[in-house]
Amino acid sequence: MAKRSLVSVVDDDESVRESLPDLLREFGFEAKAFASAEEFLASGYLEQTRCLILDIAMPGMSGQDLQEELTRRRQKIPIVFITATGDETVRPLVLERGAVECLFKPFSEKALLGALNAALSVA
Amino acid sequence: MTTGFQGIPAAIDLIHILDTIEVPIVFVRRDFVIACFNKAAADGLGLSAADVGRTYRDVSVLARLPRLEQQCRQVIADGVEWRADFRDGDRWFVVRISPCSIGDRPISGTVLTFTNVTAFRASTDQAIYEREFTKAILNTVADPLVVVSPDLRIQSGNRAFYTTFSVSRDETQGVPLDEVGNGAFAFRTLRAQFEEMLAGRHAFQPVEVEHVFPRKGQRTLILGAHPLSVPGHSQRRVLVTFQDITARKQAEAAKDLRSEKELRRSEAFLTEGQRLSLTGTFSWKVATDEITWSEQLYRIYEFEVGMPVTLELIRTRVHPEDVSLLEKMKMVDQARGGSNDFEWQYRLLMPDHSIKYMHAVAHATRDRDGQLEYIAAVQDVTVRRISEEALTRARTELAHVARATTLGTLTASIAHEVNQPLSGIITNASTCLRMLDADPPNVDGARETVRRTIRDADRASDVITRLRALFGRKSTTTESLDLNEATREVIALSLSELQGSGVILRADLGDDLPLVTGDRVQLQQVILNLLRNAADAMSGIDDRPKQLVIRTERVDDDGVCLSVQDAGVGFAPEDIDRMFDAFYTTKSGGMGIGLSVSRSIIERHRGRLWAARNDDQGATFAFSIPCAPDTKPRPAVIEPEHAMGKP
Repeated sequence: MAKRSLVSVVDDDESVRESLPDLLREFGFEAKAFASAEEFLASGYLEQTRCLILDIAMPGMSGQDLQEELTRRRQKIPIVFITATGDETVRPLVLERGAVECLFKPFSEKALLGALNAALSVA
Repeated sequence: MTTGFQGIPAAIDLIHILDTIEVPIVFVRRDFVIACFNKAAADGLGLSAADVGRTYRDVSVLARLPRLEQQCRQVIADGVEWRADFRDGDRWFVVRISPCSIGDRPISGTVLTFTNVTAFRASTDQAIYEREFTKAILNTVADPLVVVSPDLRIQSGNRAFYTTFSVSRDETQGVPLDEVGNGAFAFRTLRAQFEEMLAGRHAFQPVEVEHVFPRKGQRTLILGAHPLSVPGHSQRRVLVTFQDITARKQAEAAKDLRSEKELRRSEAFLTEGQRLSLTGTFSWKVATDEITWSEQLYRIYEFEVGMPVTLELIRTRVHPEDVSLLEKMKMVDQARGGSNDFEWQYRLLMPDHSIKYMHAVAHATRDRDGQLEYIAAVQDVTVRRISEEALTRARTELAHVARATTLGTLTASIAHEVNQPLSGIITNASTCLRMLDADPPNVDGARETVRRTIRDADRASDVITRLRALFGRKSTTTESLDLNEATREVIALSLSELQGSGVILRADLGDDLPLVTGDRVQLQQVILNLLRNAADAMSGIDDRPKQLVIRTERVDDDGVCLSVQDAGVGFAPEDIDRMFDAFYTTKSGGMGIGLSVSRSIIERHRGRLWAARNDDQGATFAFSIPCAPDTKPRPAVIEPEHAMGKP
């Protein structure tokens, strides 16, 4: 059995950190959850991560800050943004900067799968 | 007494006759021996019987007569009488020395008679003195005076007369008045008036005459004439007076001109002032109903200037719902017995259905007869009123915009707060389905996801409950509320937004806070506005933590204070006054109305909102509002600085 791809989740919302990794594992991925961008950067999972599911609005470093930081570090991890704000203007902004997808919470299982497939085909 | 008289019939008692004469008479022989004297000489000159036979030198009064001996010799030699004035002490005599001969004999001596003229002399002296005195007075009179005869011939003038008309006494003496001064006084009525006056028909009417003087130029003189008559004297004279009124006339003319100019100017000022200030004035005499309007008032009411003003006329303009000033005055007059000042606002409904707003101030006075009179100023405040209304409308609109802006932010917050648990619910449910569909089904895992689904649903429900707490009340309700609780709700709603901006929020809420009275939603809008401003002020900060501290505490004894301290860009000291103005903003995307609306909300809560610069970085915005009356702590011990009131 091929090694499962690691999908990392960075979100300050605890319910997301609890629920999303379980669903990702049901999809057949390896999943890790981080409460902040800083925690993810310090985790040592950057190299293994095949896809990053990233919340936009977080205390401290925001999702976009992390995107910039990864670009700076030449870590080409496909990013799927998730946001609860419902602010439509943010989507074209992050896509332009290289994000694979931007999902608005609450998102469906189908939308998530579509985004993950797109991300992994990029990689 | 020895008689020396011969040839006089003895029948005539000559001596007796002489004694009856009151004039002292003394006979002196040519050898200067006193022959005899009459009784008057004894009484008046103090001669005694012993003096007969003595030489005159031994008789004191005769010895005092100067050069008596020489004069007597002269008289005897010439046979001609001689007389002289003689002063003896305070008496004056006219002494007459006459030759005396008896029969045809050679002159045998002289007769001296002493006529006492003391009284006459005194009255003459007095008359001379009075005349000189009068003359001196007349000469000091600056106005020319001249006495003329009934046919106008000049008799004498005072010094002023001669100097004023540059004539001498000699050249004018006897010259008719209308021939002097180059005929200046030769006016037609002069002689006629003189005749009328002298005939006693009527007094001389003073005549104004113009006279050109060689050096002084043209002068205006008033010529008057007064008949002079002395009782017992038939001769009539006329005193002609000249009064130079040139200076007075010039002064009066100048004064008239000046006062007229001043009057005209102040009238112009008043009219222009009334026009500019759109203020008309009127007076109303209550007793006679006499109403006087200023021009501007006619213009305000749009009546033709000068139209008679009546209550009926005014009523055609005053708005049917309003009472005119005059009617108001009448009511007040009846109610309070008059004599009071008051203000009144009313509207005019013009023929074109436009509305004018009037502001009137009336002042009651009493005229000289004690009659009540009102003086009133009526100002057309339409423009001010319209702009006030526009301002109020603009404020309302702004408040609405501010509310909408705040609501927009709130909507985003609400969406965020609800979407988070919804996201969890959907994810958990999806996981749950997959776990149950697996072979074998992962029941434990499914149970766990369902548990998490319920928890997230509860969380979403909590958000709704909080929103109810925030918006579920009437917007204008005033209630006792816990500012900490209200603050926590705002924090809960805005926390994600703040965190999204990288703001680190620290809440330091005082635990002994009394309740405050106010509108919960409005106060929460203020708090939210302060939090957003603080976050915005720190949006460009990247060299230090975006630290935001929200603090509540009790202030003094009767209020609570909420402050929001940021570490943002702060503000310039000169901006502090403008910061609360509507539309003042330092943010490119802001409308700048948040603070002004916030301040008006706080002021409606009888509190105040202020800003201060922090010592290190950023600013602190704070408000204080009084606590609810029944929660005010009882002052146990009032410290002096509290009693004095802190600044």
